[in-house]
Amino acid sequence: MQQRRILDEFTINRELLRGNLNTPKWWLPTVLGLLVVVLFGFTLMGIMFNKGVGVTGLNRPVYWGLFITSFVFWVGISHAGIMISAILRLTQAEWRRPVTRAAELLTVFSLMTALFFPLIHAGRPWRIFYWITPFDFSRGIFPNPRSPLIWDPFAIGTYLTGSTLFLYVALLPDLGVLRDRTTGWKHSFYTVASLGWRGNPRQWRLQTVAGILLSALMLPIFVSVHSIVSWDFAVTPAVEGWHSTIFAPYFVIGAVHSGVSAVVTMMALMRWLWGWENYIRPEHFDALARLLIVVATGWLGFTFVELIFGVYSLEAPERALREMQMFTWPWNLLFLIFFLCAFAIPVPLWFFKRVRNNIAMMFWTSILVNIGMWLERFLIIVPGLARKQPFVFTWDSYTVSYLEWGLLLWSFAWVLMLMLLFSKFFPLIPLFETKESQLFTMDVKIGRANMPAVIRE
Amino acid sequence: MATSSLIADVTDNRPSNQEATVDLAGEGRTAASSGLKLFLWALAAASVLGFIGIAFRFINDGGRQEWGYYAATLAFMMTVFGGAPIVAIAPAIAKANWARPAARIASLASIATAMTALMMIPLLFKLPPLTVFSEALGDDIRRTSIWFDSPDYAPHFWNVLILLTLALAGLAMAYLMALPDFAAIRDHGSGWKQRWGKKLARGFHGRPQQWEWLKMRIGVTGAFYFAILLFANFTFSIDFAMSLVPGWKDAILPFYHTISSMQAGIAFTILGIWAARRWGGVSKYVGHEQMWSLGKLLLATTLLWFYFFYSSFIVFWYGRTATDTLTLKLLVSGPYIYVFWTVFLLAFIAPWWVMIWNKVRDSVWGPPIAATMVLIGLFFDRIRLYVASWSAEPDNLELAKLSMLEKMPDTVWPDVFDVFIMVGLPAFGLLGILLVTRLVPVVSLWEVQQSRLITKPIRFMRTHVMLVGKPD
Amino acid sequence: MVATNSVLGLYDNPDAGANAMDGLKSAGFPLGSFDVLTGTPYPEGAFGEYVPQHRLFRFPFFGAMVGLMLAILFTAGTQLAYPVITGGKPILAFFAMLIIAYELTMLGAVIATVVGIIFESRLPNLNLGAYDTRITEGYIGVVVECEDDRVEEARGVLQTAGALEIKTA
Repeated sequence: MQQRRILDEFTINRELLRGNLNTPKWWLPTVLGLLVVVLFGFTLMGIMFNKGVGVTGLNRPVYWGLFITSFVFWVGISHAGIMISAILRLTQAEWRRPVTRAAELLTVFSLMTALFFPLIHAGRPWRIFYWITPFDFSRGIFPNPRSPLIWDPFAIGTYLTGSTLFLYVALLPDLGVLRDRTTGWKHSFYTVASLGWRGNPRQWRLQTVAGILLSALMLPIFVSVHSIVSWDFAVTPAVEGWHSTIFAPYFVIGAVHSGVSAVVTMMALMRWLWGWENYIRPEHFDALARLLIVVATGWLGFTFVELIFGVYSLEAPERALREMQMFTWPWNLLFLIFFLCAFAIPVPLWFFKRVRNNIAMMFWTSILVNIGMWLERFLIIVPGLARKQPFVFTWDSYTVSYLEWGLLLWSFAWVLMLMLLFSKFFPLIPLFETKESQLFTMDVKIGRANMPAVIRE
Repeated sequence: MATSSLIADVTDNRPSNQEATVDLAGEGRTAASSGLKLFLWALAAASVLGFIGIAFRFINDGGRQEWGYYAATLAFMMTVFGGAPIVAIAPAIAKANWARPAARIASLASIATAMTALMMIPLLFKLPPLTVFSEALGDDIRRTSIWFDSPDYAPHFWNVLILLTLALAGLAMAYLMALPDFAAIRDHGSGWKQRWGKKLARGFHGRPQQWEWLKMRIGVTGAFYFAILLFANFTFSIDFAMSLVPGWKDAILPFYHTISSMQAGIAFTILGIWAARRWGGVSKYVGHEQMWSLGKLLLATTLLWFYFFYSSFIVFWYGRTATDTLTLKLLVSGPYIYVFWTVFLLAFIAPWWVMIWNKVRDSVWGPPIAATMVLIGLFFDRIRLYVASWSAEPDNLELAKLSMLEKMPDTVWPDVFDVFIMVGLPAFGLLGILLVTRLVPVVSLWEVQQSRLITKPIRFMRTHVMLVGKPD
Repeated sequence: MVATNSVLGLYDNPDAGANAMDGLKSAGFPLGSFDVLTGTPYPEGAFGEYVPQHRLFRFPFFGAMVGLMLAILFTAGTQLAYPVITGGKPILAFFAMLIIAYELTMLGAVIATVVGIIFESRLPNLNLGAYDTRITEGYIGVVVECEDDRVEEARGVLQTAGALEIKTA
């Protein structure tokens, strides 16, 4: 805990506004490179809208494939933000401070990405408005709120709106800092965006209360979102392996696992790209890795119980599905990779302090987790559908088409590009949280020992 | 500018370490008052009634459905007493300083868990076997169970073993957490307390190695306790409830059971603090801060109760398969509908509505009210789950194999012996805890002292704040 | 009374700022007419400042109510207007409506909270009055809103506390 350095506000401003006030050399080429991939992805979408969903690998009986898997995956990643910023804010964990903004940002952008997938999956996205919004008064046809598929837009819409506002409110003091450091049109932009922030006690007090109140409001939303996504599957008795009561918390904890790992990935990138060694320190990775050990073990417990209950009632079709999912080629290979990546490799490694404090190791293990967690969703969704079902007369597997792979690639480039664009205009590490941390933490002497201490009001 | 130049010392009004030692381990501890003695005798009398109840069930055994209330009572005790030590563990892992004075009350619940484990043994004889020979099929039929290949003595022996392991882990943790206090009683107490303190302190003199050893052991037993608590809830809820009902397949139940166990454990600790302040003379050491923090946790677990309940409910309600419908009817809308509504009101709606107000959470009277409601609500919840399960006996084993509840059982009402059991067994557990508190201080002395060491009221420019150390 | 002038004293250390606040208080400037501006949230009351009350907690309740009513309108309205039985559920399927109602209630609460935060922070207010950009760099600003006749007195108090610079707007 002795890694903290005492920094004054001037230095904090200079270092943390590096990306905003002086653009790094790598920034423009990287954004342009990502833009090419993003445009390529939009082209693929255009091709799909023109030709129809037949250009994907989706076919009877597997109607939900890579798009829906990626939808669940990105909604999962979005759980990072609120997990980190709300729970750690409420428990007053001091190490949350440099992480919160990046985590909230990941929430917003990954949700925006997640939303694309069901839209393009529908093939004719504009028609989705028929089943979400009640506007067709002329024909008297209205959405059906009994369908779990309509719960998703409400849940994700709420989560996206809420986290965007949460992000904005916490950005106000930092926008004030940027306003004071810029000139010209940028100054005008930040003046309006900061709403005239001055930093008087009333504004700071509201900022603190807002952090707590919004965290408390966002937490129940965060839990509901992935639960509702899970019910898309769980309320369907017809597909084996889906109709399980455990799905809601199982999806939520899986989402936290992948989301917190994504935050680790992102923090490592931030440290490397912007040289924020003073702010994103090994101790933060250590704390996140400890958190991940707990989350991953909890997630494993849910996975275990989910599998146990898959075979609990000893129904032949259910057992056959599990056999296919775990022991039949090629699913067994995917299952093995999934298990190794999501748990068996990273978690034992995190038990070592040297790994937890090694940023490169944390970066690679967190990427492994997300490869594993993407496969987890794939293995939940596709094998169940690929087996013969009541009311379905075919039994066939699913091959992912190049177009779908291309769109998966697009989603990563899209999120990264949005992040980099954001980093140009707004600070990725909250300045005021960093300054507050400088003010509120200190080392105290007890006897001959130095101990880190925090001020509590 | 460094923060340290902005702060200044102020006088500390908290009781000094010497004062705390006198209050919690020395002359401050008086003999039991007449009121307490009367209460202990009342608990003892209730316990006797409880055992009469169990004895009568054995003598006059009218079938499996008559054992439901016994099972529900034990499940409730495991829920409350098994869950409470989490309050002693989880905040310690999160380095939360506020929980220290409440940790003792929470950890002592393990005494009652151990008693629960022992009282479960008679019930095991009433648990049906995993396989039964069917005349019609000429072969063994097995009921659904998590013991797939029916290993020897499953599930009976394993359940006792798991629950006893839980109790032992809990007792070990409670003992380790009390070790420095025994040393203080040895040094500052008198009479029989001092003799016991000497025996139990095991030569603890507070050398740095001893503290290291102790902290390490507390950490390990705490983590082990947490793991085994999950496992115990898993096996208990399935073996003593779900697997008795053909067709009830509810993967979330073990987690529902665990989360409500934590909810009950927090409620128990809140009531324990309230009682210790009211009658235990420790109001200087434990109170507002603990109530406030535990109140927030109670609110959170109360919301989680609903989340876990709804997660399972909506899947059954939407599924509408025959087994889905029967399960919902048995547990929610059928013979136990009024019980269910009581649970819904007392374990969720009422405590949620009470605790949502900051003024209530921020008081020493609010959380105990909510905690009482939660405990009553969860007792009814265990009745809903266990009495219903024990009454769902299949007439036709072949149908049971098809995972189908053949006919909806009628409501089983408690008779007078069930009432004896429901009152007597928890009273017995409580008696055990109260007797131990005659020796062990209800507020942990060494944690109060450590808390005083690592926190300090200071002046920060023109205001007063608390400086809280975060030792590694 | 309409405050016509805002006078700002700039300090390079928090103690001097707190002294300025004390000085203004003893000079008889009414509570609430002077304020401390900082780039970091200090512990409440660190400058002996007037701690304003807020009513933020009312906002989420109001928003939640609006959200809930909209949700009931949407879920009940669509099902009643287009009554097709699906999945064997009743036309007014309470447990499905509950999910949408929950989401919209929370959405209403969050939006109202954010509106409340901005309103209670007395924002937006693009006119900063007397202000210095060094405040967001660690300097402490003490700002007084006063009538013309007290400007000189305010400047005096701020100066006595050791202001580096005094600005008027």
